[in-house]
Amino acid sequence: MLFNSLEYFIFLPIMFALYWFVLNKSLKFQNFLVLAGSYFFYGLWDWRFLFLIVASTMVDYFVGIMIHKSENDKQRQKIWLWISVIFNLSLLGFFKYYNFFVDSFIDLFEVMGYSIKSTWTLKIILPVGISFYTFQTMSYSMDIYYKRIKPCHDFLSFATFVAFFPQLVAGPIERASNLLHQITNKRTFNYDQIVSGLKLILWGLFKKLVIADGIAPIVDDIFLNHETYPASTLILGVTLFSFQVYGDFSGYSDIAIGTAKLFGVELMSNFKFPNFSRNVAEYWQRWHISLSTWFRHYVYIPLGGSRVSQGRAIRNICIIFLVSGFWHGANWTFIFWGGFHALAYIPVFLMGRNTIYKDNVVGDNSLFPSLTELGQLVLTFGIVTFSRIFFRSESLTDSFNFIGRIFSDFSYAPYEHPNGYRMLDYFILLAVFVLYEYRIRRDERNPFQFKSKAVRFLAYTLVIFTMLLFYDSGFDRSFIYFQF
Amino acid sequence: MKKLILKLGVYSFLIVISLEVLVRIFYLGEDKPSRFVDDKKVEKWIPGQVGYSITGNRNQNFIRYNINSSGFNSYQEFEPTKDGFEVALVGDSFIEGFHQPYKMSIGRKVEQKFKDRIKVFEYGYSGYDMADQLHLIDAYKEDFRMIDRIYIKMKFSNDLNRGEYNVQNERLKLESPLNKIFKKSKLLVYFSEIGVLSSVRTWVREKKDIIQNREDKPDKTISNINKDEIYLENFKSLVSLYGYDKNKTVLLMDESTTSKLFLDYLDNNGFQHIDFGTEINNSHRKTTLVYDKHWNNYGRSIIAEIIESDLHKVLGEP
Repeated sequence: MLFNSLEYFIFLPIMFALYWFVLNKSLKFQNFLVLAGSYFFYGLWDWRFLFLIVASTMVDYFVGIMIHKSENDKQRQKIWLWISVIFNLSLLGFFKYYNFFVDSFIDLFEVMGYSIKSTWTLKIILPVGISFYTFQTMSYSMDIYYKRIKPCHDFLSFATFVAFFPQLVAGPIERASNLLHQITNKRTFNYDQIVSGLKLILWGLFKKLVIADGIAPIVDDIFLNHETYPASTLILGVTLFSFQVYGDFSGYSDIAIGTAKLFGVELMSNFKFPNFSRNVAEYWQRWHISLSTWFRHYVYIPLGGSRVSQGRAIRNICIIFLVSGFWHGANWTFIFWGGFHALAYIPVFLMGRNTIYKDNVVGDNSLFPSLTELGQLVLTFGIVTFSRIFFRSESLTDSFNFIGRIFSDFSYAPYEHPNGYRMLDYFILLAVFVLYEYRIRRDERNPFQFKSKAVRFLAYTLVIFTMLLFYDSGFDRSFIYFQF
Repeated sequence: MKKLILKLGVYSFLIVISLEVLVRIFYLGEDKPSRFVDDKKVEKWIPGQVGYSITGNRNQNFIRYNINSSGFNSYQEFEPTKDGFEVALVGDSFIEGFHQPYKMSIGRKVEQKFKDRIKVFEYGYSGYDMADQLHLIDAYKEDFRMIDRIYIKMKFSNDLNRGEYNVQNERLKLESPLNKIFKKSKLLVYFSEIGVLSSVRTWVREKKDIIQNREDKPDKTISNINKDEIYLENFKSLVSLYGYDKNKTVLLMDESTTSKLFLDYLDNNGFQHIDFGTEINNSHRKTTLVYDKHWNNYGRSIIAEIIESDLHKVLGEP
């Protein structure tokens, strides 16, 4: 079930009504409803893969208890932790990476002069959300191992934590330390929280339906036919893709966070206006936060983080970026994308500027950014956007062809929308969107920061009106991150 | 809880009203003309209606229509005479032309090519098929008798599904009291035009089919060859029921998508036909509109040239 589907807008009010009006007396019933609803939500996509979620839930529930029980036996704890890690990574490995490894080995052998006929590749459907919920359950076991949390003995609550439908298929990848106690404790109906959730859902839908889906046909056309377009069009295409993927994924996250709020649950923020980052390090503090902090906590820090020799620290940076790239998909393009970000991050790290923007935003004390900041924003956006060529291309060959054409055919030609629409509409839309996001850049969880009720109402109306202006009934509206 | 429900209700109501106002201010919801069936059982638009036909979410195609006293979209009244040379273009929405300025229609272009020596009456109505068209010509035979040349625009795969004319109740349902109320809300009309309502309708239909365990099974009993034969039989039936003046009636069609069986029948039995497919399909420029599949100005010019060329032959002009 998609957040932007009609099914969801029938499903959500029913869940909400049952949750607060019928089952509000019992936490167990509420959790049962959320769990059943979550399985239904997932099962509508493909019920056959529900068993993977159930299996991952059962393994980590049991592993969590066993790690805690083996408190005095470090060796045994480690074994239990490895059971969780190996189990979850095996699920990922088989469903997501099996064919990639087989194909890569075949390619490698061919490079070495041996020709192998591929009989090992399988037709495997990638279960939606597998990269998200496996990481979530693994982090639970690791948190118990590192004594950050105590295991949950209530299976119903734990299963609800794993399958919680707002964030099941595309995150935010929650930590048990943040989400689990909210599931095990009684939630109370909070008017302000629910209103804030509804606002986030509206803003998320706007980002998805207007920004992401609005420019998607242009991006698709340019990437598909990149061999026929001049550099100006290719630069336009990848720039628009930067906005598309941001609108798509941050829109999804806003809807997820907003939906969770309707059920009295606060999820972690996943995006903090990454387009206003002043260097690549800040970008990674603002983009897909739940994943980057996951890698930071469970890979980077255990490897020693930055508190090791400079050489080792650089190695650690390379590892997390390459792994992060690989997490996105079984394709060399994602590994290159990760590698490119590592290369962009290392100079920032060596200059000691990787944490300087951690606690402030661009133009913190003024209405507009300074000229230096503006330059930094443009440079960072440029670097990130350039890396998206790898992220978006079907293959490395396509990526390098795309880049090659930008540099070899550096010319301009006006671009015409594939469906004949006026391009100016999209430029105006993006300009207004960027300016508006700049205005609200201090608080990603409150997109309608207007004191006046009338202005706020006008903003809601205009957002809905713009959704209608850019609505395309013939467009496939699934989310980009579902493929990961 | 009560506060939430109350506020949601009030906000939703106010937003709907505001959207209705915005849709009206920016003229996004088209004016839908009303249809009726006249005393000769011909379905057409109620005469005298004027308004704007709009295509695209953002008012990308904004065209004024003018329904004349005969019930068709045209800049002029259809008054055939015995002395003048008059041409009739009969067809569906491509001839009706709600997507084009009526002063730049195919008929008008033909008239201009002949420097207004001839008149072209466009009997176009969305959804007309061969049964509608031949029945119309038969019902208004007095008028059509005075018309010197009749072009019927047809699409073989769509227009011969029935062998006898009857009033299409499906289309007339659009004139139900509920739909009339619906048309009063420009927001609902806009929703319908941009596909919001059709998405809902499709969804409901799909769910209904799932509940009733129904599947869209292809009809294996009718092959394409059989279909061609059925269409041909329907054509024969319509011709025998409503008559057909082979001397002045010409079928205007894309022959590349027309069955050979049908084309052979036409040739062997003296039915005149003209192909527009070659010119349209091989055009170096786009011949359809951006927002829908109707002919754009260039496409209409091509059709007008084809008709012009045929008329020159009829008139014995070089």
